[in-house]
Amino acid sequence: MEVYRQVVTIRFAELRIREHVEKEGFGGFWHPGIGQEGLQVGAVSAMQDDDYLYYAHRGLGYAYAKGMALEALFGDLLGRRTGSTGGKGGGTVHFADASRHVLGQGGTLGSSFVMGAGTAAASQLLGDGRVTVVFFGDGASGRGTWHEAALQASVWKLPVVWICENNGWALSARFTEQSPTEHVADRAAAYGMPGVVVDGQDAMAVHDVTSEAIDRARRGEGPTLVEAKTLRIRGHYEGDRQPYRDDPVLGDEIPDDPVHRLGEDIADDVRRGIEAEARTLVEQAFDAALAAPRADRSVIFEDVWA
Amino acid sequence: MTTTGTATTGTATSTETDRVIGYSRAINEALAEEMRRDERVWMMGQDIGRLGGVFGLTRGLLEEFGPLRVRDTAINETFIVGGAAGAALAGTVPVVELQFADFLFTAADEIFHKLAKWRYMHGGQFTMPVVVRLPSGVVGGAGAEHSQSLETIAMHVAGLKVAVPATPADAKGLLKAAIRDPDPVLFFEHKGLYRVKGPVPESDEHVVPFGSARIARPGADLTVVATGLMVDRAVAAAEQLAPRGIDVEVIDPRTLVPLDIDTIVASVERTHRLLVVHEASRTAGFGAEIAAQVQERAFFALDAPVWRVCGTDTPLPQDPELEQACIPSTDDIVTAALALAAI
Ligand SMILES: Cc1ncc(C[n+]2csc(CCOP(=O)(O)OP(=O)(O)O)c2C)c(N)n1
Repeated sequence: MEVYRQVVTIRFAELRIREHVEKEGFGGFWHPGIGQEGLQVGAVSAMQDDDYLYYAHRGLGYAYAKGMALEALFGDLLGRRTGSTGGKGGGTVHFADASRHVLGQGGTLGSSFVMGAGTAAASQLLGDGRVTVVFFGDGASGRGTWHEAALQASVWKLPVVWICENNGWALSARFTEQSPTEHVADRAAAYGMPGVVVDGQDAMAVHDVTSEAIDRARRGEGPTLVEAKTLRIRGHYEGDRQPYRDDPVLGDEIPDDPVHRLGEDIADDVRRGIEAEARTLVEQAFDAALAAPRADRSVIFEDVWA
Repeated sequence: MTTTGTATTGTATSTETDRVIGYSRAINEALAEEMRRDERVWMMGQDIGRLGGVFGLTRGLLEEFGPLRVRDTAINETFIVGGAAGAALAGTVPVVELQFADFLFTAADEIFHKLAKWRYMHGGQFTMPVVVRLPSGVVGGAGAEHSQSLETIAMHVAGLKVAVPATPADAKGLLKAAIRDPDPVLFFEHKGLYRVKGPVPESDEHVVPFGSARIARPGADLTVVATGLMVDRAVAAAEQLAPRGIDVEVIDPRTLVPLDIDTIVASVERTHRLLVVHEASRTAGFGAEIAAQVQERAFFALDAPVWRVCGTDTPLPQDPELEQACIPSTDDIVTAALALAAI
């Protein structure tokens, strides 16, 4: 039920952002995560509050599920002072919330492989019992940082879980033309860690697989590579017309929609109640973010040094 | 700098307040003291544990602090630096070693993006207390990819602090300051200085604040700004010039970010002439930056243009003699200072 609430909220948030991009000719890049919300929430719902999260660039499902406020997330997207980065993040790729253990994201793909392993090394040293979860795309799986991080994490048995959102595309590059193996998870064997493939449209299945991986990490048995198979519903960014795509471009049709799947077991009136609440929450947060002041030029000199 | 005074082998057991110990030993002491002081301080790098580092800087630390705090990694610079960034976010203070400063480039994304910008990009929510130790400069035939002086490259990307200790006392005091600093510090240790000895205060609290230049030799006629191995050569040049009637002041900035430009400007206002000496290649080196800042701030104090004596704009040859031909010698500094004083 809580997973459903979160997934629906994120879906409405995705749709609200899309509407804004289309109506306002939004200048930034928005990488829609629509259709991938189920796996994002499913995985994060397996984490404890003080586990660490490195999210990927598609959508905001992970951050919301980890407890970040919608208004702060929208504020980042809109360059508002109320954004989690105080207006400097712009777009959404850099939102963060230290209090929710959302550690942020870099602009260079694959940097969180090594950073996540390092965060897990710190947890191992401090004995704080925390697990680090790192999301990434199938495209990012090509980075050499994967190899360095996976090798060291496995040798040191670090408490880290890597979750690949394999949506079949990396910008214009098809996964099948970029990988010699059918699954990213096949590569786990080379590092002596489990590699698990799971249906990414099935939030509860992702939750179960992630829980197992997190438990294993917390027990000191080392990292796991989880690969959630999903689909990229929209373009690389909202507005991308995908001229490179020769299969039918998916519009609003979400095959095997994770939202519907989760809703199946919920009584109609309860489901409608949750949806109405989620819609209100999103509208209010978006309006509040829109009304918040923009960051002025003085912010550019903030936060260079501690 | 050579051994002075009566202390002998530079062991930490000496009880004199200013013992004479080596630059390497000073760094090792700083590491040990800071790890004792703060349990969150830990180290990783290649061969730093059982071997004690390729230059022996971390000897004995594995024995004292154990394998969780002194960790040998695989050959994986992106993990060493990127992992340190991630470990800093989780409340620890990583001090990592790259075997050669040149390997900045193999971990460039991690250094110039993650260490330098993470705090900024995320609205100041995190600090990044990472120290990257970087054995730097020529050492006797290490070759073009193991001998560079890359401190200027580090200066150009906002968010990184840059330390360039030239003496054992500064090596220790600056490293302790670096470890206590909440910002990322690139710590350029000169390989050619590792065996040089000098007086180092005994105190645990010998911390040299960043942004405080040291006047290595006072003088009245001409200012020389030099770093690392070049400080000793500049002082030696000054000693040769003194009998010829030119009293040279040598300033060692000690940190390039932050840069104590005030001390340099104040000196130039007294001497009216400035020569910047660095081992790094001349083009777009930090000498150019210092020259520009001084002419902006003290144009009317200058009686002559600011000159530079620098490394050649070439890769460094592996042959130890040719390599020396690529970096400023004491003679080069003397010659330049004579010409500059005559303008
Ligand atoms: C190191 C690096 N190289 C290239 C890019 C540009 N880039 C951003 S997203 C992207 C595609 C990523 O694909 P994938 O990892 O599969 O994630 P998806 O967009 O499909 O969610 C590219 C090429 C980048 N940000 N960083």
